[in-house]
Amino acid sequence: MVDVMTFAFWIRPANLERLRRAFAECDERLGLGVLLHITPSNVPVNFAFSYVFGLLAGNANMVRVPSRTWPQITAISSTMSRVFESGDHEQVRRRTAILRYPRNDKITADLSAQCSGRVVWGGDSTIADIRRLPLPPRAVELVFADRYSLCVLGASAMTSLPDKVMHQLARRFYNDTYLVDQNACSSPHLVFWNHVPDEETEARFWNAVERVVRDNYALEPIKQVDKYTRLLRDAVELDGNAALCARHQEYLYRVRLKALPNDMEALRGRYGYFYEYHSEHLDDLAPVVTSRYQTLTYFGVSPESLRDLVIGNRLSGIDRIVPVGRALDLDVTWDGYDIIRSLSRFISVSGSDS
Amino acid sequence: MSNSNKYDTAFIETFQVDAQQLSGLQYQDIKEWDSIGHMQLMSVLEEAFSVELDIDDIIDFSSYEKGKEILSKYGVSMANE
Repeated sequence: MVDVMTFAFWIRPANLERLRRAFAECDERLGLGVLLHITPSNVPVNFAFSYVFGLLAGNANMVRVPSRTWPQITAISSTMSRVFESGDHEQVRRRTAILRYPRNDKITADLSAQCSGRVVWGGDSTIADIRRLPLPPRAVELVFADRYSLCVLGASAMTSLPDKVMHQLARRFYNDTYLVDQNACSSPHLVFWNHVPDEETEARFWNAVERVVRDNYALEPIKQVDKYTRLLRDAVELDGNAALCARHQEYLYRVRLKALPNDMEALRGRYGYFYEYHSEHLDDLAPVVTSRYQTLTYFGVSPESLRDLVIGNRLSGIDRIVPVGRALDLDVTWDGYDIIRSLSRFISVSGSDS
Repeated sequence: MSNSNKYDTAFIETFQVDAQQLSGLQYQDIKEWDSIGHMQLMSVLEEAFSVELDIDDIIDFSSYEKGKEILSKYGVSMANE
Protein backbone atom coordinates (compact mmCIF):
# COMPACT_ATOMS: atom_id res chain seq x y z
CA MET A 1 0.00 0.00 0.00
CA VAL A 2 2.29 2.68 -1.31
CA ASP A 3 -0.30 5.39 -0.58
CA VAL A 4 -0.46 4.49 3.11
CA MET A 5 3.34 4.55 3.20
CA THR A 6 3.32 7.95 1.50
CA PHE A 7 1.00 9.26 4.20
CA ALA A 8 3.20 7.74 6.91
CA PHE A 9 6.23 9.34 5.28
CA TRP A 10 4.47 12.71 5.16
CA ILE A 11 3.66 12.65 8.89
CA ARG A 12 7.14 11.49 9.91
CA PRO A 13 8.71 13.70 12.59
CA ALA A 14 11.21 15.40 10.25
CA ASN A 15 8.47 16.58 7.92
CA LEU A 16 6.22 17.85 10.71
CA GLU A 17 9.21 19.71 12.11
CA ARG A 18 9.78 21.28 8.68
CA LEU A 19 6.14 22.39 8.60
CA ARG A 20 6.31 23.74 12.14
CA ARG A 21 9.21 25.95 11.17
CA ALA A 22 7.56 27.05 7.93
CA PHE A 23 4.50 28.13 9.92
CA ALA A 24 6.37 29.58 12.90
CA GLU A 25 4.36 32.81 12.85
CA CYS A 26 1.22 30.72 13.28
CA ASP A 27 1.94 30.79 17.03
CA GLU A 28 -0.46 33.73 16.98
CA ARG A 29 -3.21 31.56 15.61
CA LEU A 30 -5.86 29.28 17.05
CA GLY A 31 -7.98 26.65 15.37
CA LEU A 32 -11.52 27.55 14.38
CA GLY A 33 -13.10 24.93 16.64
CA VAL A 34 -14.71 21.76 15.38
CA LEU A 35 -14.34 20.85 11.72
CA LEU A 36 -16.48 18.50 9.69
CA HIS A 37 -14.60 16.78 6.87
CA ILE A 38 -16.43 15.06 4.04
CA THR A 39 -13.77 12.98 2.30
CA PRO A 40 -13.77 11.50 -1.19
CA SER A 41 -14.43 7.94 -2.24
CA ASN A 42 -11.78 7.85 -5.01
CA VAL A 43 -8.57 8.47 -3.01
CA PRO A 44 -8.65 6.31 0.14
CA VAL A 45 -5.82 7.99 2.11
CA ASN A 46 -7.27 11.45 1.53
CA PHE A 47 -9.29 11.31 4.76
CA ALA A 48 -6.09 10.92 6.76
CA PHE A 49 -4.46 13.94 5.16
CA SER A 50 -7.59 16.03 5.64
CA TYR A 51 -7.68 15.02 9.31
CA VAL A 52 -4.04 15.94 9.85
CA PHE A 53 -4.51 19.29 8.08
CA GLY A 54 -7.35 20.08 10.47
CA LEU A 55 -5.33 18.93 13.46
CA LEU A 56 -2.25 20.94 12.50
CA ALA A 57 -4.42 24.03 12.14
CA GLY A 58 -5.51 23.50 15.75
CA ASN A 59 -9.00 22.05 15.37
CA ALA A 60 -11.09 19.20 16.70
CA ASN A 61 -12.11 17.01 13.77
CA MET A 62 -15.08 14.92 12.70
CA VAL A 63 -14.03 13.06 9.57
CA ARG A 64 -16.56 11.24 7.47
CA VAL A 65 -14.89 8.48 5.47
CA PRO A 66 -16.37 6.90 2.33
CA SER A 67 -18.72 3.97 2.83
CA ARG A 68 -16.60 1.79 0.55
CA THR A 69 -14.35 -0.26 2.85
CA TRP A 70 -10.93 0.49 1.48
CA PRO A 71 -8.15 -1.55 3.16
CA GLN A 72 -6.13 1.66 3.42
CA ILE A 73 -8.81 3.29 5.58
CA THR A 74 -9.05 0.23 7.80
CA ALA A 75 -5.27 0.12 8.19
CA ILE A 76 -4.92 3.79 9.12
CA SER A 77 -7.92 4.02 11.43
CA SER A 78 -7.06 0.83 13.30
CA THR A 79 -3.52 2.13 13.80
CA MET A 80 -4.97 5.38 15.13
CA SER A 81 -7.17 3.42 17.56
CA ARG A 82 -4.14 1.51 18.78
CA VAL A 83 -2.18 4.71 19.35
CA PHE A 84 -5.12 6.31 21.17
CA GLU A 85 -5.59 3.21 23.38
CA SER A 86 -2.10 3.73 24.72
CA GLY A 87 -3.50 6.77 26.54
CA ASP A 88 -0.56 8.97 25.55
CA HIS A 89 -2.58 11.28 23.33
CA GLU A 90 -5.74 11.85 25.32
CA GLN A 91 -6.12 15.47 24.21
CA VAL A 92 -5.99 14.51 20.56
CA ARG A 93 -8.21 11.46 21.02
CA ARG A 94 -10.96 13.59 22.57
CA ARG A 95 -10.84 15.89 19.59
CA THR A 96 -11.02 13.13 16.99
CA ALA A 97 -13.97 11.30 15.47
CA ILE A 98 -13.64 9.16 12.35
CA LEU A 99 -17.18 8.53 11.13
CA ARG A 100 -18.72 6.16 8.64
CA TYR A 101 -22.44 6.33 7.97
CA PRO A 102 -24.60 5.65 4.96
CA ARG A 103 -25.46 8.68 2.87
CA ASN A 104 -27.83 10.58 5.14
CA ASP A 105 -28.56 14.29 4.81
CA LYS A 106 -30.14 14.46 8.25
CA ILE A 107 -26.91 13.39 9.97
CA THR A 108 -24.72 15.56 7.77
CA ALA A 109 -27.05 18.53 8.36
CA ASP A 110 -26.89 18.06 12.15
CA LEU A 111 -23.11 17.87 12.11
CA SER A 112 -22.85 20.84 9.74
CA ALA A 113 -25.06 22.97 11.99
CA GLN A 114 -22.63 22.47 14.86
CA CYS A 115 -19.26 22.95 13.18
CA SER A 116 -16.99 25.96 12.82
CA GLY A 117 -15.65 24.82 9.49
CA ARG A 118 -16.46 22.30 6.82
CA VAL A 119 -13.95 20.71 4.48
CA VAL A 120 -15.49 18.99 1.49
CA TRP A 121 -13.68 16.82 -1.03
CA GLY A 122 -15.69 15.42 -3.89
CA GLY A 123 -17.28 15.65 -7.28
CA ASP A 124 -19.59 18.44 -8.36
CA SER A 125 -22.77 16.66 -7.33
CA THR A 126 -21.47 15.77 -3.84
CA ILE A 127 -20.48 19.38 -3.31
CA ALA A 128 -23.83 20.69 -4.52
CA ASP A 129 -25.60 18.28 -2.13
CA ILE A 130 -23.47 19.25 0.87
CA ARG A 131 -23.77 22.97 0.13
CA ARG A 132 -27.53 22.75 0.59
CA LEU A 133 -26.92 21.97 4.26
CA PRO A 134 -26.45 25.24 6.17
CA LEU A 135 -23.49 26.14 8.34
CA PRO A 136 -23.48 28.49 11.34
CA PRO A 137 -22.97 32.14 10.28
CA ARG A 138 -19.29 32.32 11.21
CA ALA A 139 -18.31 28.92 9.86
CA VAL A 140 -15.91 28.72 6.93
CA GLU A 141 -15.96 26.18 4.14
CA LEU A 142 -13.09 24.82 2.09
CA VAL A 143 -14.15 22.95 -1.00
CA PHE A 144 -11.88 20.68 -2.97
CA ALA A 145 -13.81 20.09 -6.13
CA ASP A 146 -13.22 17.91 -9.13
CA ARG A 147 -10.15 19.14 -11.02
CA TYR A 148 -8.23 18.36 -14.17
CA SER A 149 -4.47 17.93 -14.51
CA LEU A 150 -1.87 17.66 -17.23
CA CYS A 151 1.78 16.91 -17.85
CA VAL A 152 4.21 19.02 -19.88
CA LEU A 153 7.25 17.26 -21.36
CA GLY A 154 10.16 19.19 -22.84
CA ALA A 155 11.03 17.29 -26.00
CA SER A 156 14.58 18.56 -26.42
CA ALA A 157 15.55 17.62 -22.86
CA MET A 158 14.29 14.11 -23.55
CA THR A 159 16.26 13.32 -26.67
CA SER A 160 19.34 11.31 -25.81
CA LEU A 161 18.21 10.80 -22.23
CA PRO A 162 20.17 7.82 -20.84
CA ASP A 163 18.03 4.66 -20.55
CA LYS A 164 18.24 4.68 -16.80
CA VAL A 165 16.97 8.25 -16.49
CA MET A 166 14.22 7.53 -19.01
CA HIS A 167 13.19 4.55 -16.91
CA GLN A 168 13.07 6.69 -13.75
CA LEU A 169 10.98 9.29 -15.55
CA ALA A 170 8.59 6.58 -16.75
CA ARG A 171 8.40 5.22 -13.22
CA ARG A 172 7.49 8.65 -11.85
CA PHE A 173 4.92 9.18 -14.56
CA TYR A 174 3.46 5.78 -13.68
CA ASN A 175 3.24 6.76 -9.99
CA ASP A 176 1.33 9.92 -10.92
CA THR A 177 -1.21 8.09 -13.03
CA TYR A 178 -1.60 4.30 -12.91
CA LEU A 179 -1.17 4.16 -9.14
CA VAL A 180 -4.63 5.71 -8.75
CA ASP A 181 -6.02 4.61 -12.14
CA GLN A 182 -5.88 8.32 -13.15
CA ASN A 183 -8.82 8.88 -10.78
CA ALA A 184 -7.15 11.50 -8.58
CA CYS A 185 -7.69 15.18 -9.42
CA SER A 186 -3.95 15.70 -9.73
CA SER A 187 -3.39 12.76 -12.11
CA PRO A 188 -2.60 13.94 -15.63
CA HIS A 189 -4.85 13.10 -18.57
CA LEU A 190 -3.16 15.27 -21.17
CA VAL A 191 0.51 15.02 -22.12
CA PHE A 192 1.57 18.27 -23.75
CA TRP A 193 4.89 18.01 -25.59
CA ASN A 194 6.61 21.35 -25.72
CA HIS A 195 8.28 21.30 -29.10
CA VAL A 196 7.44 18.48 -31.40
CA PRO A 197 9.39 15.40 -30.29
CA ASP A 198 11.21 13.26 -32.82
CA GLU A 199 9.60 9.87 -33.29
CA GLU A 200 12.34 7.99 -31.52
CA THR A 201 12.18 10.11 -28.34
CA GLU A 202 8.44 9.85 -28.13
CA ALA A 203 8.54 6.09 -28.68
CA ARG A 204 11.30 5.62 -26.09
CA PHE A 205 9.27 7.45 -23.45
CA TRP A 206 6.05 5.55 -24.02
CA ASN A 207 7.82 2.20 -24.35
CA ALA A 208 9.52 2.87 -21.02
CA VAL A 209 6.12 3.62 -19.45
CA GLU A 210 4.70 0.45 -20.98
CA ARG A 211 7.50 -1.61 -19.41
CA VAL A 212 6.78 -0.18 -15.95
CA VAL A 213 3.08 -0.91 -16.44
CA ARG A 214 3.77 -4.51 -17.50
CA ASP A 215 5.87 -5.10 -14.40
CA ASN A 216 3.63 -3.38 -11.86
CA TYR A 217 0.04 -2.83 -12.88
CA ALA A 218 -2.90 -5.12 -12.23
CA LEU A 219 -4.74 -4.90 -15.52
CA GLU A 220 -8.17 -6.29 -14.71
CA PRO A 221 -10.59 -6.99 -17.57
CA ILE A 222 -12.88 -4.10 -16.56
CA LYS A 223 -10.00 -1.69 -17.13
CA GLN A 224 -9.27 -3.13 -20.56
CA VAL A 225 -12.91 -2.83 -21.52
CA ASP A 226 -13.12 0.74 -20.23
CA LYS A 227 -10.14 1.82 -22.32
CA TYR A 228 -11.29 0.06 -25.44
CA THR A 229 -14.79 1.54 -25.10
CA ARG A 230 -13.34 5.00 -24.66
CA LEU A 231 -11.23 4.57 -27.76
CA LEU A 232 -14.30 3.63 -29.79
CA ARG A 233 -16.20 6.60 -28.40
CA ASP A 234 -13.29 8.93 -29.11
CA ALA A 235 -13.15 7.63 -32.66
CA VAL A 236 -16.67 8.94 -33.13
CA GLU A 237 -16.71 12.02 -30.93
CA LEU A 238 -13.30 13.49 -31.73
CA ASP A 239 -14.61 13.84 -35.24
CA GLY A 240 -11.34 13.91 -37.14
CA ASN A 241 -9.36 15.68 -34.41
CA ALA A 242 -7.24 12.60 -33.68
CA ALA A 243 -3.88 12.64 -35.44
CA LEU A 244 -2.91 9.25 -34.08
CA CYS A 245 -4.28 6.47 -31.92
CA ALA A 246 -1.67 4.14 -30.50
CA ARG A 247 -2.19 1.06 -28.39
CA HIS A 248 0.61 -0.58 -26.48
CA GLN A 249 -1.42 -3.77 -26.28
CA GLU A 250 -3.84 -3.35 -23.39
CA TYR A 251 -1.32 -1.57 -21.18
CA LEU A 252 -1.38 1.91 -22.56
CA TYR A 253 -3.55 3.88 -24.96
CA ARG A 254 -2.60 7.19 -26.53
CA VAL A 255 -4.67 9.53 -28.63
CA ARG A 256 -2.82 12.43 -30.21
CA LEU A 257 -4.94 15.47 -30.92
CA LYS A 258 -4.52 17.76 -33.90
CA ALA A 259 -5.90 20.69 -31.93
CA LEU A 260 -6.67 21.27 -28.27
CA PRO A 261 -10.47 21.45 -28.04
CA ASN A 262 -12.08 24.08 -25.82
CA ASP A 263 -13.57 21.35 -23.69
CA MET A 264 -10.22 19.59 -23.27
CA GLU A 265 -11.05 18.98 -19.60
CA ALA A 266 -13.89 16.70 -20.67
CA LEU A 267 -11.31 14.32 -22.16
CA ARG A 268 -10.35 12.14 -19.25
CA GLY A 269 -8.64 8.82 -19.54
CA ARG A 270 -8.53 6.15 -16.90
CA TYR A 271 -6.35 3.10 -16.26
CA GLY A 272 -3.61 4.37 -18.58
CA TYR A 273 -5.33 6.28 -21.35
CA PHE A 274 -3.69 9.53 -22.40
CA TYR A 275 -4.35 12.40 -24.77
CA GLU A 276 -1.29 13.97 -26.35
CA TYR A 277 -0.58 17.20 -28.09
CA HIS A 278 2.55 18.40 -29.87
CA SER A 279 3.23 22.10 -29.75
CA GLU A 280 6.02 24.56 -30.45
CA HIS A 281 4.53 27.09 -28.01
CA LEU A 282 3.64 26.71 -24.34
CA ASP A 283 1.16 29.54 -24.80
CA ASP A 284 -0.99 27.20 -26.90
CA LEU A 285 -2.24 25.92 -23.56
CA ALA A 286 -3.59 29.27 -22.43
CA PRO A 287 -6.89 29.31 -24.35
CA VAL A 288 -8.07 25.95 -23.02
CA VAL A 289 -7.13 26.33 -19.34
CA THR A 290 -10.17 26.92 -17.14
CA SER A 291 -10.58 27.06 -13.37
CA ARG A 292 -10.92 23.26 -13.48
CA TYR A 293 -7.19 22.90 -14.10
CA GLN A 294 -5.22 22.06 -10.99
CA THR A 295 -1.83 20.37 -11.33
CA LEU A 296 0.73 20.72 -14.07
CA THR A 297 3.55 18.18 -13.83
CA TYR A 298 6.69 18.87 -15.83
CA PHE A 299 9.92 17.37 -17.04
CA GLY A 300 12.53 19.14 -19.13
CA VAL A 301 10.76 22.52 -18.98
CA SER A 302 11.72 25.25 -16.53
CA PRO A 303 9.15 25.71 -13.76
CA GLU A 304 9.63 29.48 -14.06
CA SER A 305 8.43 29.46 -17.67
CA LEU A 306 5.36 27.51 -16.54
CA ARG A 307 4.65 29.95 -13.74
CA ASP A 308 4.98 32.77 -16.28
CA LEU A 309 2.51 30.96 -18.50
CA VAL A 310 -0.06 31.00 -15.68
CA ILE A 311 0.59 34.44 -14.25
CA GLY A 312 1.48 36.17 -17.54
CA ASN A 313 -1.74 34.99 -19.16
CA ARG A 314 -3.75 35.45 -15.93
CA LEU A 315 -5.09 31.94 -16.31
CA SER A 316 -8.06 31.06 -14.14
CA GLY A 317 -6.70 27.57 -13.51
CA ILE A 318 -3.47 25.66 -12.69
CA ASP A 319 -2.48 26.30 -9.11
CA ARG A 320 0.17 23.67 -8.71
CA ILE A 321 3.33 23.13 -10.78
CA VAL A 322 5.40 20.12 -9.71
CA PRO A 323 7.96 17.77 -11.27
CA VAL A 324 6.68 14.52 -12.82
CA GLY A 325 6.38 12.02 -9.95
CA ARG A 326 5.02 14.47 -7.40
CA ALA A 327 1.45 14.81 -8.71
CA LEU A 328 -0.10 12.92 -5.80
CA ASP A 329 1.95 14.55 -3.01
CA LEU A 330 -0.81 16.19 -1.02
CA ASP A 331 0.43 19.05 1.09
CA VAL A 332 -0.84 21.90 3.23
CA THR A 333 -1.04 24.12 0.17
CA TRP A 334 -3.65 22.57 -2.10
CA ASP A 335 -5.98 23.80 -4.81
CA GLY A 336 -4.43 27.22 -4.31
CA TYR A 337 -5.45 27.37 -0.65
CA ASP A 338 -3.12 27.80 2.29
CA ILE A 339 -5.02 25.18 4.28
CA ILE A 340 -3.45 25.81 7.70
CA ARG A 341 -4.21 29.52 7.61
CA SER A 342 -7.65 28.96 6.09
CA LEU A 343 -8.66 26.65 8.93
CA SER A 344 -7.39 28.85 11.76
CA ARG A 345 -7.89 32.40 12.92
CA PHE A 346 -5.34 35.09 13.54
CA ILE A 347 -5.29 36.96 16.84
CA SER A 348 -4.21 40.49 16.01
CA VAL A 349 -2.75 42.52 18.85
CA SER A 350 -1.78 46.15 18.47
CA GLY A 351 -0.66 49.08 20.58
CA SER A 352 -0.02 49.21 24.29
CA ASP A 353 -1.88 50.91 27.11
CA SER A 354 1.21 52.25 28.79
CA MET B 1 28.69 3.83 16.92
CA SER B 2 30.52 5.59 14.09
CA ASN B 3 28.57 7.36 11.36
CA SER B 4 29.60 4.67 8.85
CA ASN B 5 28.32 1.99 11.17
CA LYS B 6 25.02 3.78 11.69
CA TYR B 7 24.68 4.27 7.94
CA ASP B 8 25.35 0.61 7.17
CA THR B 9 23.04 -0.54 9.94
CA ALA B 10 20.20 1.52 8.46
CA PHE B 11 20.56 -0.33 5.14
CA ILE B 12 21.09 -3.75 6.70
CA GLU B 13 18.07 -3.50 9.01
CA THR B 14 15.72 -1.84 6.53
CA PHE B 15 16.46 -4.16 3.61
CA GLN B 16 17.62 -7.29 5.49
CA VAL B 17 20.84 -7.45 3.48
CA ASP B 18 24.41 -8.41 4.36
CA ALA B 19 27.16 -5.86 4.83
CA GLN B 20 28.98 -7.32 1.81
CA GLN B 21 26.08 -6.37 -0.47
CA LEU B 22 26.20 -2.67 0.35
CA SER B 23 29.04 -1.48 -1.83
CA GLY B 24 27.64 -0.41 -5.20
CA LEU B 25 24.04 -1.09 -4.15
CA GLN B 26 21.58 0.97 -6.18
CA TYR B 27 17.90 1.86 -5.88
CA GLN B 28 15.77 -1.00 -7.20
CA ASP B 29 18.75 -3.40 -7.42
CA ILE B 30 17.02 -5.53 -4.80
CA LYS B 31 13.28 -5.95 -4.38
CA GLU B 32 13.39 -4.56 -0.83
CA TRP B 33 14.72 -1.22 -2.10
CA ASP B 34 11.59 -0.19 -3.98
CA SER B 35 9.70 3.07 -3.53
CA ILE B 36 8.23 1.93 -0.21
CA GLY B 37 11.59 0.66 1.04
CA HIS B 38 13.08 3.97 0.00
CA MET B 39 10.70 5.93 2.23
CA GLN B 40 11.49 3.59 5.13
CA LEU B 41 15.23 4.02 4.60
CA MET B 42 14.89 7.81 4.50
CA SER B 43 12.91 7.85 7.77
CA VAL B 44 15.47 5.60 9.47
CA LEU B 45 18.39 7.75 8.30
CA GLU B 46 16.67 10.97 9.39
CA GLU B 47 16.18 9.50 12.83
CA ALA B 48 19.67 7.99 13.08
CA PHE B 49 21.43 11.22 12.18
CA SER B 50 18.82 13.72 13.45
CA VAL B 51 18.53 15.42 10.08
CA GLU B 52 15.64 16.49 7.83
CA LEU B 53 16.31 15.47 4.25
CA ASP B 54 15.18 17.78 1.52
CA ILE B 55 12.73 16.25 -0.96
CA ASP B 56 15.20 16.72 -3.84
CA ASP B 57 17.86 14.88 -1.88
CA ILE B 58 15.40 12.08 -1.13
CA ILE B 59 14.80 11.72 -4.86
CA ASP B 60 18.51 11.93 -5.74
CA PHE B 61 19.40 9.29 -3.13
CA SER B 62 19.93 6.62 -5.79
CA SER B 63 22.68 4.41 -4.37
CA TYR B 64 24.59 3.46 -1.25
CA GLU B 65 27.49 5.69 -2.31
CA LYS B 66 25.32 8.62 -3.47
CA GLY B 67 23.64 8.61 -0.06
CA LYS B 68 26.95 9.21 1.71
CA GLU B 69 27.59 12.17 -0.54
CA ILE B 70 24.13 13.58 0.20
CA LEU B 71 24.45 13.11 3.96
CA SER B 72 27.79 14.92 3.95
CA LYS B 73 25.86 18.06 2.93
CA TYR B 74 24.00 17.74 6.23
CA GLY B 75 27.25 17.57 8.19
CA VAL B 76 27.24 13.79 8.46
CA SER B 77 30.75 12.81 7.50
CA MET B 78 31.78 9.21 6.99
CA ALA B 79 35.29 9.74 5.69
CA ASN B 80 38.39 9.00 7.82
CA GLU B 81 36.56 7.43 10.69
